Amino acid sequence: MRNYDSIQHVRGDSLFIDDITPPQGTLYGYVYYSPIAHGKILQLDFSEALKSTGVKGIFSAKDIPGVNQIGGIIQDENLFAEDSVHFVGHPIAFIVADTQLHAHEAAKKIKSIYEKLPAIFDPRQAAAENKLIIPHRKFELGNIDSAWSECEYIIEGSVESGGQEHIYLETQGSIAFPTESGIKIISATQGPTAVQRTAAKILNLPMNRIEVDVQRLGGGFGGKEDQATAWACMAALAAYKLNTPVKLVLPRQEDIRLTGKRHPYSSDYKIGLTKDGKILAYEVTFYQNAGATADLSPAILDRTLFHCTNSYFIPNVRATGLSCKTNLPPFTAFRGFGGPQGMFVIETAIYKAALVMGMEPAEIQRKNLLNEGDELPYGQKTFNCNAIRCFDELDHKFSVKNIFQEIEEFNMKNKLVKKGAAIMPICFGISFTTTFLNQASALVHIYTDGSIRVNTAAVEMGQGVNAKLKRIAARTLSVNESRIKVDTTNTSRISNTSPTAASKGTDLNGFAVIDACNILIERIKKVAAEELGKDDASKISIIDENVFYENEPTILTFIDLVKKAYLKRISLTAQAHHSTPNIFFDLKSNKGNPFAYHIYGSAIIQVTLDCLRGIYEFDSVKVVHDFGESIDQIIDIGQMEGGIVQGLGWMTIEELIWNGEGKLLTDALSTYKIPDIHFAPKEIKIHALENSPNDFGPLRSKAIGEPPFMYGIGAYFALTNAMRAFRPNMKIKYDAPLTPEKILLNLYNK
Amino acid sequence: MITLKFILNGKEVSITTEPHIRLLDLLRDKFDLTGTKEGCGVGECGACTVLMNGRAVNSCLALAAQVEGYEIVTIEGISNGDVLSPLQKNFLLHGAVQCGFCTPGMVLSAAALLDQTPNPTEEEIKDAIAGNLCRCTGYKQIVDAIKETAKELQVK
Repeated sequence: MRNYDSIQHVRGDSLFIDDITPPQGTLYGYVYYSPIAHGKILQLDFSEALKSTGVKGIFSAKDIPGVNQIGGIIQDENLFAEDSVHFVGHPIAFIVADTQLHAHEAAKKIKSIYEKLPAIFDPRQAAAENKLIIPHRKFELGNIDSAWSECEYIIEGSVESGGQEHIYLETQGSIAFPTESGIKIISATQGPTAVQRTAAKILNLPMNRIEVDVQRLGGGFGGKEDQATAWACMAALAAYKLNTPVKLVLPRQEDIRLTGKRHPYSSDYKIGLTKDGKILAYEVTFYQNAGATADLSPAILDRTLFHCTNSYFIPNVRATGLSCKTNLPPFTAFRGFGGPQGMFVIETAIYKAALVMGMEPAEIQRKNLLNEGDELPYGQKTFNCNAIRCFDELDHKFSVKNIFQEIEEFNMKNKLVKKGAAIMPICFGISFTTTFLNQASALVHIYTDGSIRVNTAAVEMGQGVNAKLKRIAARTLSVNESRIKVDTTNTSRISNTSPTAASKGTDLNGFAVIDACNILIERIKKVAAEELGKDDASKISIIDENVFYENEPTILTFIDLVKKAYLKRISLTAQAHHSTPNIFFDLKSNKGNPFAYHIYGSAIIQVTLDCLRGIYEFDSVKVVHDFGESIDQIIDIGQMEGGIVQGLGWMTIEELIWNGEGKLLTDALSTYKIPDIHFAPKEIKIHALENSPNDFGPLRSKAIGEPPFMYGIGAYFALTNAMRAFRPNMKIKYDAPLTPEKILLNLYNK
Repeated sequence: MITLKFILNGKEVSITTEPHIRLLDLLRDKFDLTGTKEGCGVGECGACTVLMNGRAVNSCLALAAQVEGYEIVTIEGISNGDVLSPLQKNFLLHGAVQCGFCTPGMVLSAAALLDQTPNPTEEEIKDAIAGNLCRCTGYKQIVDAIKETAKELQVK
């Protein structure tokens, strides 16, 4: 099995936004944005730009017929700046011309004057000045204040983790077409309804006059969940005003400058343990750098709190989160959605505790792993908990003890090259923690030739959801997969879509497909019973397109039933809606049952470090992961390997650097480095945990998108272990990414 | 305006164009060969890779005018009608394709390698695709697909 569109992909036939042949007369847009981090707009003069070659219009806040508002969770974000700008890259106007080049040239002729205002880039400074996106959030378990007195060791520290640019290979883009009834938008978005709702608001049209269609994305990773919306709305606004198709595809540099990234965090922790390494208490405060507006920050902050204890049971916890407003582009969803930031802190706390106590970090990890029925800081109790199984299976499958011993031997023999390894267990909750988003619907048509078309809310962005939905539909209907075509994601066919996010695309939409297919099965079984002259349709079964009665073959086939159903005027279309059962979360007490289930796994990461140059190579990543019953192993392994490498990148080489004025210096692929083939681990071995069916996933599968990312966190500690082999008394500042430069600073600083 | 004559995917072509445009724009806009993608525009990501006299080049860094007299192969020229090339087939079989945006460039870099070095070492494979970024796969499946293709070509 392979990704749904793979054949077109290898032939170069797949159309992404920029590949669609635009209709005659299509105009091209360019975004004009703030060059300063914070200030008042004193003057904005388009007169010269409007005279520029090919320019057809320039649109800004005053041209919006509806409300100048694109905020999702909180209505705090303008499509275009009004009288002030709040970050470098804040959109001010949209220039539309006959070519992209002409639009870009015109932008240079816009004259603007600003009065600079003080800007904040540090989340702690923002918190000190009470510049918060929402009031602070706090999760508590047990009684932390009385727990400290029982601890023999109490260790404190601070941790920094950097942001991360998505670098989806296809940049943001959309095309908007005026239609008889309104506007049609083809967008590279993970959230078609977010685009539809927001464009309707901007244009002052009801949602039923906006159609959003999504064929595929050249990667999303969360970067197109909320942040594809602005570009779609700009194209829609211009198309509506000029009554002409308008296309906007961000050039890479503008994409990096203008769009949000993974949130940088600054955190303080305090961890208390017994002398044999049992964690009794954990207090942590997260300063989330939210950027200039809310975007998805509050939900991301919550997921940091949900995952602040990673795979461990800690009886007394207090976790506080502050979403801090700064003058940087609004940070946004990125694979893991705040979870990785929380997990990096608890792992740091464990590594530092191990150092102080003279214990192996793995011993502390193992001693505190979640057991069946343990309570998490948000009140949910674990069930089918595989934390210990995965951790022990890792040791069993990959001889973890030998790995550490071999590393020790290597390090004794080598002076300037050192090896290090670290274990990274993960636990990740599956569901949108915003409970209402856990719904999806499917619309399945069977045509009279037996071909089938499946519509859902899921967006294909390379993660393989369409291939999985196709398989789910084929298995449920018991027909050949070649009969099935998965349609584009379209708001006119599927309404009120939740974004394809939270690793939940296959779960939600897959269950909806199963329900819709079962409705169709019931109908055609009834037809079969009638045809066979039997009363009891429940005794009919369809297996591999053949029809059975009481498990005995009949002369009927699937295709016969489809044709007969049509002639009997029976609907061959079914729609179904699915919502995840039994989940809830109370935002006041911060307790509930927010997750349908959890994903568990354990990885060991090995690295070789050149202590003269600070450069390193990952020798291997070995994982035991709980896939449930995988719907498609090739796709799931692909998600694993890609997620791991992305996680390694976040922890090590992907560094965002802003200058003192809030301008991003690493705004090109020449300065912002993502993993290439030479960076990728020499070996990735993945073992699927056996016998772990998941009753809460379609075909007993488990979600896969985000969890593997967090194995990458182990890379940080594999490196610090190698560094310590070179300089045992090193005092390290826990500050990711651990670039070669920072390694040298830590190895040789006095 | 300048007129260029070159061989494109095996066919002799002639086109009149502005002299300043990039090879990438020439292929996408004048010949509608949209399999060649723009990922970064600065020669870092390799999504725009095409073959120029058999060598893999970033078409975002080449001027259209440079193709005069050359033989250019894009992803559309790699398969033989409906029949996939061995590389394309192995990219499919090994799950080397996720979102598909880097895929055409990746296939062409690998094709250039295998044309010149039919039996490459792992290091040679890595060097050949070092200029092609993929954000989805983690590269392992891509290397596996290239290795397998090399093996099949050896058997033949």
